[in-house]
Amino acid sequence: MPVPATDPPAGALDAAARLADRLRWFFLPLALCALVAVGVHTAADVVGEIILRMVDAADAAFDGLVSRWSLTAPLVDLVGPSQRIFFARAVALLWELAADALLALPMLGYDERADEVKRFRELAAKARVRPTTLRVAHPFATGAVALAGSCAVGRLLEGTLHFGLRGAIGSAADALARGCALAAVLGLVGFIAWRAVVHALVRADARSDRIPFRRARAFTVGLPGALLLLPLALAALRAAPLLSFLR
Amino acid sequence: MRRARSLADLVLAALCLWAAWYHTPPGALLRTAFARLFGARSATPPLLSYYGAGARTFQLAEPLPPRAVLSPGAALGLGAQSALERTSPADRAQVLARAGLRSGSADALGDWIGREAQRQGSREAAVLSLFCGEEAARFARERSGSGRGGASLEELARQLPPLYADRVALAATALTLGTAYALGWPLPDSAQVTSPFGVRAHPLLGARRFHSGIDLGIPVGTPVRAAAEGIVRRASDDRVSGRLVLVDHGSGVSTVYCHNDALLVAPGEVVTRGQVIALSGNSGLSTGPHLHYQLDLPRGPADPLLFRAARPPQLASGGTEP
Repeated sequence: MPVPATDPPAGALDAAARLADRLRWFFLPLALCALVAVGVHTAADVVGEIILRMVDAADAAFDGLVSRWSLTAPLVDLVGPSQRIFFARAVALLWELAADALLALPMLGYDERADEVKRFRELAAKARVRPTTLRVAHPFATGAVALAGSCAVGRLLEGTLHFGLRGAIGSAADALARGCALAAVLGLVGFIAWRAVVHALVRADARSDRIPFRRARAFTVGLPGALLLLPLALAALRAAPLLSFLR
Repeated sequence: MRRARSLADLVLAALCLWAAWYHTPPGALLRTAFARLFGARSATPPLLSYYGAGARTFQLAEPLPPRAVLSPGAALGLGAQSALERTSPADRAQVLARAGLRSGSADALGDWIGREAQRQGSREAAVLSLFCGEEAARFARERSGSGRGGASLEELARQLPPLYADRVALAATALTLGTAYALGWPLPDSAQVTSPFGVRAHPLLGARRFHSGIDLGIPVGTPVRAAAEGIVRRASDDRVSGRLVLVDHGSGVSTVYCHNDALLVAPGEVVTRGQVIALSGNSGLSTGPHLHYQLDLPRGPADPLLFRAARPPQLASGGTEP
């Protein structure tokens, strides 16, 4: 009796690769958006302590103001010490959603080109010659949060594999999880994160070009967004423990 | 080559979407929206629980009453016992068996945490080790880069996968209660409680209001001491609370001292247990010299007397403050 022919594994892999190639236009923008969103959340989680201090200072000023009049005096109890954490987290959430609107959502408009490296070089050169706050701040913030996002995804993968496989393969799970996490971080930085920076450059360039370039006014182009994003970007760099994957 | 890269991109994209879908607030919003759209039941946690690595999710109800004045080690043992009391018997047995403990008493837990803290380098890592296991604590410590140093529970919890979220919340509860049990008293034991914690008729405004702390009657100028070491988060003046100091003791525990005559510390200052931080007074909305002493836990204000073995004397009636 003849044995039915089955495709070799390489054939299945090839079919999957062909399918992935056809669907790049769909999943790449989603991946960019998701990676940036993860990075923004990682950064927003880190700035919680700073926000808590700001809430304390704002609460003290608010109490000082409303306690002056008997009608508004009960408002002193509006934000007690227990609500500080709630308020700080609520501020972090709003900050995160605003940053997502500025950085993550536009990634859904990513259109891949064959000459991405060339496009990146051209736009970076243009940003050096005709700098605006927008041209500098958005790509920098995107790069920082994408790096933090890559590390966060790597850490999630490492923890999940480490504790998921430990029962089955013992101490080998540690090395395997670490290797997979490192590969994921490098892969994300090398294949996904830099595309996010390119797309941020493209968008920043297009929006900057809508305004006639004047060196004196260049600083103000995109300034409000930069004020929102730069603290998060710095927090994201702090939350990107690249070296921890090698420890 | 391009197809191989596409496959790699697809795998990486799946990882990104997994992380964003399950581990960010926007992902939670989308999951809730999809669940509503398709009439499915959503187990999405509240949006704000995505911050602080879940380490400040204070789950539990009433603390156990302390039997005696406790050292910080014994207090942490009682905190751990208090947290364990509220878990299922199977979970409790699993935690105790993993730690090699026959008894879940406060003393046994306190001793175990003390030994583990010596080994792991911090009480946070020791408590995490009790609730999540030694391997998880080691993993978190190494990845956080804290080595044998003292990373916060939040910092450690960030390194762990989400399957540990419930255990981390228990560890946070134990640390919170342990910190609260170890608090000292801001005034001499002889200071009388003139107005207790809870709902009462306001002595000035008349209506029934929630009193978020206790009032201790004392003469103006009495030294007010920090209940434990911590960081001064607020030292301010307003017409209701008067001159107040707020000290953050970590693990979600803070104490507030109101109606002082003079403040002796500034925001950002690190204070030690028993350090004089203010001189008591009659400032703000007050009917007489007293200290309003308030204990705050992550879920809200708590009665400071619940965490104290030796109860100060109470006045039968009276009231001096908001």
